[in-house]
Amino acid sequence: MNRFDLLNKIQKILKENLVICNIGLPSQELYKISDQPNFFYMLGSMGLSSSIGLGLALSQNKHVISIDGDGSVLMNMNTLATIGNRAPSNYTLLIIDNGSYGSTGDQRTFTDENTSLKDVAIGAGCNNVVECSGDETVNELSKAIEDQNNSYVIISKINSGNVKIDPIPLNPITIRDRFRKFIGIVKYL
Amino acid sequence: MKISKKIIDNLKKGGVDFYLSVPCKLLANMIDILENDKDVYYSAVPREEEGMGICAGAYLGNKFPCIMMQNTGIGNSVNAIVSLLQLYQMPVVFLISYRGTPGEPVGAQGGMAKITEDILQTLRIPMLHCSSENDLEKISTFSKHAKVVESPVAILCDFNLMKDDK
Repeated sequence: MNRFDLLNKIQKILKENLVICNIGLPSQELYKISDQPNFFYMLGSMGLSSSIGLGLALSQNKHVISIDGDGSVLMNMNTLATIGNRAPSNYTLLIIDNGSYGSTGDQRTFTDENTSLKDVAIGAGCNNVVECSGDETVNELSKAIEDQNNSYVIISKINSGNVKIDPIPLNPITIRDRFRKFIGIVKYL
Repeated sequence: MKISKKIIDNLKKGGVDFYLSVPCKLLANMIDILENDKDVYYSAVPREEEGMGICAGAYLGNKFPCIMMQNTGIGNSVNAIVSLLQLYQMPVVFLISYRGTPGEPVGAQGGMAKITEDILQTLRIPMLHCSSENDLEKISTFSKHAKVVESPVAILCDFNLMKDDK
């Protein structure tokens, strides 16, 4: 299973929640599978998906799923400490760990060598750290969202590989405003 | 404490209700005030760039965020400012302790001090430079300006203004 297959498998869950989606191919693949106003596609700032989702979860009550990657978490690893100390129960971090920098040509990341993001997350103080296969991810993600009392970090171990895809045609302000309209903040659209 | 209280009062008057900080000894009093303020959210954060991401999320969730940091933090955050906050036009207040300005005892702070305003200018971020107590009155209007122009704005607080705020 690669990232595209996984996103396809979890799309129903994603549609029912607020989603912050990582820059590059993850966002492009999600857009291709099913574009939704409650999906915030990152067009820049690699590494910050987990942080944007955390800020959003702290600011309103709907459940937030941050879709992140192993390469991106490695770039902003302090985020796991902040999540370990501050994440509210309406927050789930889904790390799609394919051991590679998919958007830049599938160069290996350190999770394909010695680094375990599960161990790092536990050491950083995160609750409910789950490492699972792609197939198990639907179930783990459902459990995380149903649990009203705890935040989760789910590390979904899948294969590398991408589908051929175009950049997202949406303007950043369109992404911003329709997302905020979905939450009920923007009234003018 | 008087200066720090005035800064926080003015930020709150400007509508800021979500605060993060990467600590600085010049920000210590403000952090104390915020930690005991039940009306607003406050948390420390390990790195400024990460804080920019959290602020972006807070804005999406209808908060008006502020990140407090040393001027060195701007250097850590340039891409997050440009490719996230400015790309999506998100208002965020940067409350900056301006290390390396006159009165600063640590020589090494001088390097970032020399280029801080140049970086902010290059980024086209509106600046409010506070060097005396009177300047602090401008903070609430200046914060509201961030929302009007949908942009980050920077408030620079000089070393000498903050150092004796016991």
